[in-house]
Amino acid sequence: MTPNSNLQSPGADLLPGLLKKLDNATQQLGDAPDFAKPARLQPVMDIARRVLLQTGGCAAIEDRAERLERAGVFAGSDWAQPAILVPSLSGLSLKSADATTVVIEALSQLRMLAVAKSRYLHEGLSPVAARHFLTQVLALNLALLFGAPSEAERETQGRLAQIPRELFQHLATRIGFEHIIDELINEIWRILQQRPIQVEPVKQMITQISLCQSNPEIDLGTSGQGANRLVSALFGPTQACHEDPGVDVYQQRLESMDTAALQYEATGFARAMHDTGLVSPYHAVLLNHLAGQSDQLVAEALGLSATGRDCLLCFHDLIQAIIESSLMPTTAQGIYGLALMLERGILYQPPIAPALWRQLGLTLSDWSQARLFAAFGDSVPYRAKLMESVLSMLGQPLGIGQGNNPTCQSARALSMWSYNDPDYLLQMVTWAARDDEIVMHFEGQRISSKECVAGVAQTLPLDLDAVSLLVVPHLDRIYGEMGRQCIGREGDPHQWINPEFHGWWTGRGFRINVDVATGHLDDLDAFVRHFYASYHPGYNGNQPLIHPQPAGIAITDSAARFIGWHAISILRAATDPNGEMRIYFYNPNNDGGQDWGNDVKVSTAGNGERFGESSLPFAQFASRLYIFHYDPLEHGKLANVTQDELSEVISMIENSWGATRLPPTGAQASQSPTL
Amino acid sequence: MTKDPNKGYIALLGWSLNAVEAAETFDRRYIVVAPDWAEEYCQQHNIPYLSWNFERLNDRSMEIAETLKEKGVDVAIPLFEETVEWAGAINSVLLDNPRLYGQSLLLRDKALMKRRAQLGGIRVGIFEEAHDKEDVVRFLKRVNQTLLKLDGDPNDPIHLKAFDKAGCLGHRVIRTPDEVDTIPDEEFPVLMESHLDGWEFAVEAWIHNGKIVFLNVSEYVTLGYSVFVPASPELEKYRAQIHAQIEKLIKAFDIEFGLIHPEYFVTSDGEMYFGEVAYRPPGFKVFELLERVYGFNAYQASMLVFDPNSTEEEVKAFFPKEVVDADGFAGCFGVYPRRRVVSELRIPEEVEDHPYFESHELTPPAEETVTKRTAFGTHWGLVYFRGEDAHTLRDTLKAQEDLDYYI
Repeated sequence: MTPNSNLQSPGADLLPGLLKKLDNATQQLGDAPDFAKPARLQPVMDIARRVLLQTGGCAAIEDRAERLERAGVFAGSDWAQPAILVPSLSGLSLKSADATTVVIEALSQLRMLAVAKSRYLHEGLSPVAARHFLTQVLALNLALLFGAPSEAERETQGRLAQIPRELFQHLATRIGFEHIIDELINEIWRILQQRPIQVEPVKQMITQISLCQSNPEIDLGTSGQGANRLVSALFGPTQACHEDPGVDVYQQRLESMDTAALQYEATGFARAMHDTGLVSPYHAVLLNHLAGQSDQLVAEALGLSATGRDCLLCFHDLIQAIIESSLMPTTAQGIYGLALMLERGILYQPPIAPALWRQLGLTLSDWSQARLFAAFGDSVPYRAKLMESVLSMLGQPLGIGQGNNPTCQSARALSMWSYNDPDYLLQMVTWAARDDEIVMHFEGQRISSKECVAGVAQTLPLDLDAVSLLVVPHLDRIYGEMGRQCIGREGDPHQWINPEFHGWWTGRGFRINVDVATGHLDDLDAFVRHFYASYHPGYNGNQPLIHPQPAGIAITDSAARFIGWHAISILRAATDPNGEMRIYFYNPNNDGGQDWGNDVKVSTAGNGERFGESSLPFAQFASRLYIFHYDPLEHGKLANVTQDELSEVISMIENSWGATRLPPTGAQASQSPTL
Repeated sequence: MTKDPNKGYIALLGWSLNAVEAAETFDRRYIVVAPDWAEEYCQQHNIPYLSWNFERLNDRSMEIAETLKEKGVDVAIPLFEETVEWAGAINSVLLDNPRLYGQSLLLRDKALMKRRAQLGGIRVGIFEEAHDKEDVVRFLKRVNQTLLKLDGDPNDPIHLKAFDKAGCLGHRVIRTPDEVDTIPDEEFPVLMESHLDGWEFAVEAWIHNGKIVFLNVSEYVTLGYSVFVPASPELEKYRAQIHAQIEKLIKAFDIEFGLIHPEYFVTSDGEMYFGEVAYRPPGFKVFELLERVYGFNAYQASMLVFDPNSTEEEVKAFFPKEVVDADGFAGCFGVYPRRRVVSELRIPEEVEDHPYFESHELTPPAEETVTKRTAFGTHWGLVYFRGEDAHTLRDTLKAQEDLDYYI
């Protein structure tokens, strides 16, 4: 009686039927007047989701990309302006538990593909830009390309987890694996130039490349050559370990080497490490082999200059103890921290060496051990793991990152202390790791992290280095408590919190260009001129900045729209190699290189930046600044900034994050002719 | 869509986004008459709008009719049960035909409606008004006596419905006197009907100049759960009889134009029983289903047959040929959560993978505890299916009743 019942049989090819439905739903969406589009969108998204789950579904959507966009699937969302989309956010969208987010992201990328392949002439996006975008997305999400869904993805996404994989397979086949790999390599170098402390994600990407290279099914063509330095830095930087023989074999080989051979190994490791900021596990094997044998060779293996070598010789016993107790193949990254710490000469500050001895013998509280176990497991002794992180912090103050947590204030404080007051940092680590308590004072009131209720972060972060892992929860709670004590005061609480939280060197003078009560921009003219007077060497009597100063930034996206307030520290103002005055600053965000819209692109290399510094031309920086501190005893006078530069800064503010904050009168004033 | 000034100017009574969308893309001028909460939306989207709160008819009722007349509106179309008598009142002024108001009152009261149908020679079941619980018990007993049941035999159920509500709202089935106690007092008065064992179906008929111009039969798979169009061949074989029944109905109610939505039972011996008739679009998104298989917009069809300026040629050209022009069958299923506690919406995989599955309009649960259903209750959203074979579709819709969409 039911001749068509075979349609129900499982495994039948559903795609033709689904595409008919999709075309129908797309047509309805396209025909609908604007007000009716939202209701017509849901069927399109739902059917598209099912199409994407079918073999050949991505190709079918690519064919329909133009029709879908014209019908209005992206209308009213960020995806409607493909030029502003950020590759690094795509991965998050694709891993979302919300089907609509996953589907719209997939549709958008297939649209990009159609544009990149010149099948769809898009008014807002060039084929070159589309291709660039896609290669970046793929490079950033290699795990989605090659790996099976993780348990977490399966749990949150269920079947949806297949979509990003189908999508990436399709994209990679259409674009070619070779382009992805090259893009990925550039991305890795860009991140490494900022010398982050946490290199795990980078290591994972390099491992992915290495796996691709050795997979006979993937034809990389001529691409991937630039990866050799990266792969070798991790897996075989020197002659005696270039084929990645395993640490035991390498240890045996070392036993039979003479001084010249060891010397050769040592320089090989040092070069790889300073080239990339990455340390190979073999490096730790060598260093332990050399420690106690020859300071000369240890200095060589750390790649030290005269300063570092001097420091090493002065504190010979301490360094040897650190190497032997804490630097093993699993904590090899600490070697880079050690080398840079020696180079900074901070061991010559009297408290540092004894503080490090204390660190070496520190007893960790149960809670600290539990935290370290949760983040790193127990394959590495906790104390060694913590020491590795301490060395990294002391060696790379600007490499500290906040992870995926709203704790920029705490990360900034750690960075500032490491930079400026390292023995205070060591004290903090001790209190947190040994005593589970940090005490600070706020306007004479004692604040204990034990007694505070909650900080900014809702949950305890895990994606951090060992020091941050232990210290940040305390700092975050104290910061939160200081905020609570300011409730009821007029004005922005940072003016009281920042000096008490970060250190005496934070200027007690405070300037903000937003009226806290109304949220409107407030007296931009004086704010900008005061900032120039305090920080710009051309207006402050050529005085270089002495201490890093906390400052507040209005972060904008690549379309110059306001995203949120963010804590950074200003490190210095200086002319770059082209003679342009720039502000160099530290951004606790994990990747400083960001596009803040309207051509404000934060640079992290190539404009005179030191490792870990971000920089912007002075005026551009001023246009995103909303809070700064100054010494109230200095500089009463506002700078005579030229009208042109002043107007430029103010216009950049008003055309980005300030656009929605114009005070009623301000809007008028800016419209009236110059008085 | 550019509007043709030679064609009618139509007022839509009540707020329905789909109706507005249809009007916006049709060649007739229109205006939405809806409560003031729709005002902001209409202004924002440039939708012609007139604010009116449809409470009971009162002294001000003439005001809306005259306002629309001044604007040059030709006819008003009711979109919901509650606006049917308003349309009658307004159209009696706009079309200068006082009978239209009386007609609308007949169509609004289920008891009056049945009497009128009976007078017109249409078969109806046994029915009575109930003012309190005692009336219900008496009716239940009497009906079962008529059926020659003895004490102790299981009763045939009776149906209770509100006089003036749409579809399944307030619809209860009563089998024993004990169940009568569960009826809240505020639901009275109600209409009581004997239960008819048979095949229940609905009809959507568009009428122009007193003649049926398009007749669709909607087949219920399970009342209150699922419906599909066009009906299966087994039901469509009654089409000629159904056509004759609708003509009787048109005559009995003196309907010249518009869309009617009656419900019937056909018993095993092929006898048709009239259930009720509504003068407004059906629920369960039957309009959407019709568009899916026939390709015409049913709201536009209604605007066409209501519009006094429409010509016979235009009407004839608009409608496809019933059944033969349908491209497959389309149906929908109303989802009710089956568990007492639910935390998420999950479309069952067998539905996702079913070639007939089109889309759904379900949303994730707002609360974890499912309110106990009273009467037939309200479903949580519809799931749409479309396919080539009526029986596969019917079986699929039936199978949905055993699936959990909310877990």
